[in-house]
Order: sequence, then structure tokens, then C-alpha cells
Amino acid sequence: MITKEDIDLYIKNIPATPSVVRQALEYVRAGDLPKAAKCAEEDPALKLYLKTLVNRPIYGFRNEVSDMSQIFGILGTSTAQQILYSYLMSLLVPKEWSLFSLSNQAFYDLQASLSRKWEKILKHLHLLNHDNESAITLLPASIIVCDALFAAHKNEVEQLRSVKALDYNTILQRLSKRSLFDICSDISVKWEMSSTISRIVYAASGTDLEIQGDEKILAKWMHLLLFYELSQSVYVSAGLNDFIDFHIDFVQDIYESFMQVVG
Amino acid sequence: MRATVKGRVGVFHPQGFLDGNNAPSYLTLEDIKATENLNIDMLLVSLKKVIFFNKNGLDVFIKLLINIRNQKHISVGLCDYDHTKFKTINSFYGDTLNFSLFLTEKIAELFAPNNKSDTRTVLLYNDDPSQRSAMAIELFDYGHNPIIAQSKKEFDEKKKSPDLYYAIIEDTYLGLFGQKIATRVTGNAIIYTIANFLDAEIGNTFNIAYHNNSLNVGFRLFIFDAYKVVSMNVHALNFFTKLASSAAEYNASICFVGLTFEKTPQSFKNDLEDAGMLFFDNMDDILKNKDLLQELGGSSATATKQIRTLNKALVNELPHFIDATVSTIAMMTNAQASKESMNVQILDVKNADNQYASSIGFYGDVDGMIILVFPKEIAKKACELLIGETTEDEETILDSLAEFVNIIGGRAKTLLAEKKHHVDITLPRTYPNVSSLMEMAQNKKGVQVNLSFEGSNFIFFLTR
Repeated sequence: MITKEDIDLYIKNIPATPSVVRQALEYVRAGDLPKAAKCAEEDPALKLYLKTLVNRPIYGFRNEVSDMSQIFGILGTSTAQQILYSYLMSLLVPKEWSLFSLSNQAFYDLQASLSRKWEKILKHLHLLNHDNESAITLLPASIIVCDALFAAHKNEVEQLRSVKALDYNTILQRLSKRSLFDICSDISVKWEMSSTISRIVYAASGTDLEIQGDEKILAKWMHLLLFYELSQSVYVSAGLNDFIDFHIDFVQDIYESFMQVVG
Repeated sequence: MRATVKGRVGVFHPQGFLDGNNAPSYLTLEDIKATENLNIDMLLVSLKKVIFFNKNGLDVFIKLLINIRNQKHISVGLCDYDHTKFKTINSFYGDTLNFSLFLTEKIAELFAPNNKSDTRTVLLYNDDPSQRSAMAIELFDYGHNPIIAQSKKEFDEKKKSPDLYYAIIEDTYLGLFGQKIATRVTGNAIIYTIANFLDAEIGNTFNIAYHNNSLNVGFRLFIFDAYKVVSMNVHALNFFTKLASSAAEYNASICFVGLTFEKTPQSFKNDLEDAGMLFFDNMDDILKNKDLLQELGGSSATATKQIRTLNKALVNELPHFIDATVSTIAMMTNAQASKESMNVQILDVKNADNQYASSIGFYGDVDGMIILVFPKEIAKKACELLIGETTEDEETILDSLAEFVNIIGGRAKTLLAEKKHHVDITLPRTYPNVSSLMEMAQNKKGVQVNLSFEGSNFIFFLTR
């Protein structure tokens, strides 16, 4: 069905970080938001993305925010880095979703909703920093990769799933010895993201038994947050509810606190 | 969301949160239609991966389950929960609870027919004596050996030795059960348990699809355990007469055991005997009499008097069946199987040691059976995607092999549907060694295709 060669080809075809975004990220990391804003002005696609994102209802601004300096000022350094990574992710979003019945609008809503709730969680856990905040941007890459790799094998997966409840991540892991989260890690390397980001997202699959400490705490919250979002009607209808395996035991101990923070 | 079907049990596996807002999104109209068309005896919703649910969320699934139960007379319920969830579900539905609750899917499967002849010893406890008895009767009727704890104390004591039991049944509830006639397999005989007064309703409660499946996969002896039958009317008589006629096509034998004629007219017995039914006083009169068992077809399919031969319609579809097999192997392993040779012959298995076999029947516009014989290592490799980890457990491998053959059957069905041929597939059957396969398949002429996969050979055999 899907071979290691298919995966290698997919990763090879992922575009490198555009120079404007790389430059903007460097300014953001250095805390120089005006220069980052000026840099973003040069890329119309990035500008449109930032404008559309920040003006989503979830950000709660009454009036339209359109000036780049204003946008970067509102976001702050951590969120600006996170949103620049989200923009990178948007470059991978397919024009038309094949496997999942998803629209790009719904996908961007998912990205935005995950980001806002993740920020709340990090504040609750007192673990808010640049990399932790940006980690959430890599998570939806698993959905994009899954759609791209399995699109041509929809019927085969349906037949397989008619006899056994297997999620896409498990099927991929068993066929190619690489999971969707391994591929997310590869993407993060290609985009020069911090290794902390890829470790947290990898552990958020709920299958990394080695992880310890704060990264384990973050992985648990991210795993539950993902399933909280994927249980929303629109994503259930899109077929996203069972694209990876929900590890209920992994998150059981944080459920009550999670519902107080997010629910 | 579609139900996963294992044997004759369909299960939905929602994940995450289940409430009144999102639950309707799990079931599209197509999903509901596909579920209604499933050929199953039990439909369940697994709560294993549901971290939160409320009554409105459950109600969406329960409504579907009850509708399907009303249409198809199958058992329905929830499974895979812990003690807390069990208490919550009971508090939601209280006295109106009219569906079943099974602690695990494995426990639920004990209450559904399959085509394995294993008797499972299970430990059983329920606070409610009537539930306890109902479960014990159902388990017994399905061929299992329930050990019933009469008190919580006795149950806790017995529970300390879990290795003695296949399953420990607690936090389980049977709601409106016994809608279908219980079925079990003993060797090569199928036993149906019937009870009380038999009338026109038997047409609904008898699982005719399972019966036809069994005929198609080679079972030739069917026994009605009728010890608990009080009487029957003319509608039931007609039903059994028709059943006898269809069995005659396959040279199958149908017997009644323990049926008395105190309240049933003696003329009914004569009519049934004329139709070819046989009557015995005790089950052991058949099962312990090897010569009789051989004559009736319950020891092996070799007792079949007429052998159904290959026909043109079936041979014309051979490429579809081979395609389905080869493409399934490619899908499951990312490796290609290639055709080595093909002959019309009696099944010939060289190096019969260390091989597993499986079969699946199909019927409809064309009918027949696919048999696959694999070296054990190749079978494991082919099922790796389904098993997921290296295992030497024969039962796990054979179960996965059954799922594997089921996928092949499903693909063949799809390929034939593209040519406007409608077929249904039977339950898959697996054989831990070639000799048990040969009991069923010897003397059957068919098309034997020797296929090569990763340096080893395996056999595809298409027959009727």
C-alpha cells in the first residue's frame, strides 16, 4: 500500500522554508517585532494569511486588524513564532482534501482553535515559552501527511477497517515502520524547528513510552486536546475522529483538570 | 463511521468525547444503510476509547441499535467500559435499559454464534439471580461452560485464579436477549437450541443466513436441540419442511433431539420424517456414535454423497478471485505474489506439515469456495498488518488469517459487483493443519493455483 519510498518522496517534495519566513522568524526570535513585521510585508501570501488568521472570531478582535506592525505587536514574540510556523504548515495544505471530507476553512479553524486552547493550557501549566507554544503548530501536519499518503488508498483502507479497527497511523507504522509522527519530526527538521517541538509532538501520539518530565505532561495535554477538537461535529463528519488511536489511559489522570481549563 | 465486523459481531468504535452535539455526525445516512445491510447477529458500540459521554450522545447510537434490532432480531448493546461507566449507563437508563451491556468485546462474542467448536470455561457473577440464570443459559446454549458464582464472596474468591477461565463475566447485563436461536458448533455439526412454543416467529429468530453460510462452507449435519420445546404449530412445521428441502440440495442431514410429541400432533413427526428429518432422544445418541456421525455427515464432508462440480460460471470469474487474493496480499505486505502454475485438479498439498489453511464460501449469482493453504511463516507475514506484533500464539494467527480471508472475500465481492454479479460471502473458516482441511475438501475438484510469495509457495484453490 504505502512504502518507505513513498514516504521519502513525500518528504523530499516538502518545500524548504521560504527566505522571507526564515528572516521573519529570526527577527521574532531576537525579539525585534517591527523588523519581523516589515519582513512579512514583503510576502503578500504571508500577509494575507496573518490578516485572515488574526481576524478569526477566536482571537476576539472587534475591529479588523490589518497593519502588520499592529498584528505582530498584538501577537507578541511567542505567538508570532507560532503563527509563522502555522503559515509554513499552510504551504502543505492540499488544494483539495482527498481522504478527509475537510475544507481548508475548517482546517484553518482547527489550527486556530488548537493554538488558542494550547496557550490557555500552557498558562495553566506555567510552561509558556516560545518552543512549547509553537509545538502545537506541528500537530496538524499529521492530518495533512495522512491525507496525502492515504488518498490513493482510501478503498483499501476501508476494506481493511471493515474487519479490524485500525487507525491510519497504526497502518502506516506496521507497513513502513514509520508513523505519521515520525514524518512530522522529519518535517520539523526540514523547517529547522527546535528539537523540543518535534519531541513534544512525537510524544503526543501517545505511543512514546520513553518520554519523561515536562515533555510528558505537555504530550498528555496535547493528545487530549487533539481528541477534544477532533470530537467536534465538523471534524467527526470529516472522518478525522479515528485517524490516529486515542490512548485513553495516557490522559486519564489529567482529564478533570483539562475540562476545567478547556471545557 | 462504519462498524468493524469480526465473525458475526459488528462494533462501532467512536473515540474521544460523545455528546448530543457530535454523536449524530458519527452516523451518516450511508453509514446507517451500510449497518442495516450487515449480515451479523450482534451490533455493539465500544466505549473503550470514549473518555466522556452523556445520555444524549449515547441515545443517538442506542436509537440506531434498537431500530436494527427491531428489523433484524439481533442482539444489540454497549461494550468495553469500566465499572464507573457501567454504573453511569445504568443510572442513565435505569429500568428502561432494554439493550445489553458487555464488559468487553471478548465477553460479547461468547453470546454470539461463530463457526468454532471451542468450549470456553467462563466465570460468571451478577447480583440479579434472573440475569445470572439468563446469562448461564445463553452461554450454555452457545456451547460454553459457565461457572456460576452464587455470591459476591464466592465470585471474589474464584476470581483470584483468572488463568482458569477464558473470561470473567461481571458488570454485564442481557437486555431483551434470546431474540435469535442460539447456535453452537461441535466438531463438524451445528447445533441450534430451540425452546418453548414454536410458531411463525421461528422464521425471524432462526438465522437462515448463518445456516446457508454453514452449508456453503461444508457443514453437513445440523441438530436442533429441542429438549425445551413444548409444542409447535403448522407454521413452524412448514418452516422445518422448507429447511429440509434446502438441506437436501447439499446432502445435509437435519436432526431433532429430545423433541416430545405430547402436545405436538404425531402427524407432524411423520411429515418431518417424510421431508428427511431424523429424530433422536439424546444428543449423545448422535455425537458419541462415530458410525452414525459418519453416515450423517458430522464427522467430515467426505460423507457427502454428491460432489458439486466446477461450472463455467465459476471458472469465468476465476481471474477476479485470483486478483482479489493477489491484491490483498500486496496491500497487506507491500510485496507481490506471483502465479506459478494453474490446474484443474483435486486439492493437492505437498509438505502438509507446518501449514495453516483457511476458506471462505460465497453464494448468489455464482457460488463456491476459496481455500488458501499457507506455510505458517507466510501466514504470519501476510497477517502482520492485522496482528501488529510478532506472536507465536496460534489462536491469534488463525483469527487474523480469518480476517485476512474475509478481506479477500470482500474484495472478490466488490470485483464481481462491478460486473453486476451479486454474491454474499460466508464466515471465514480456519484450519490449524492441513488434515482438518482435507476432511472437508478432499475429493473436491477445483482450480488449484500455486502462487509464490517471498520465495515460498502457497496455494489458492477455487471449488464448489
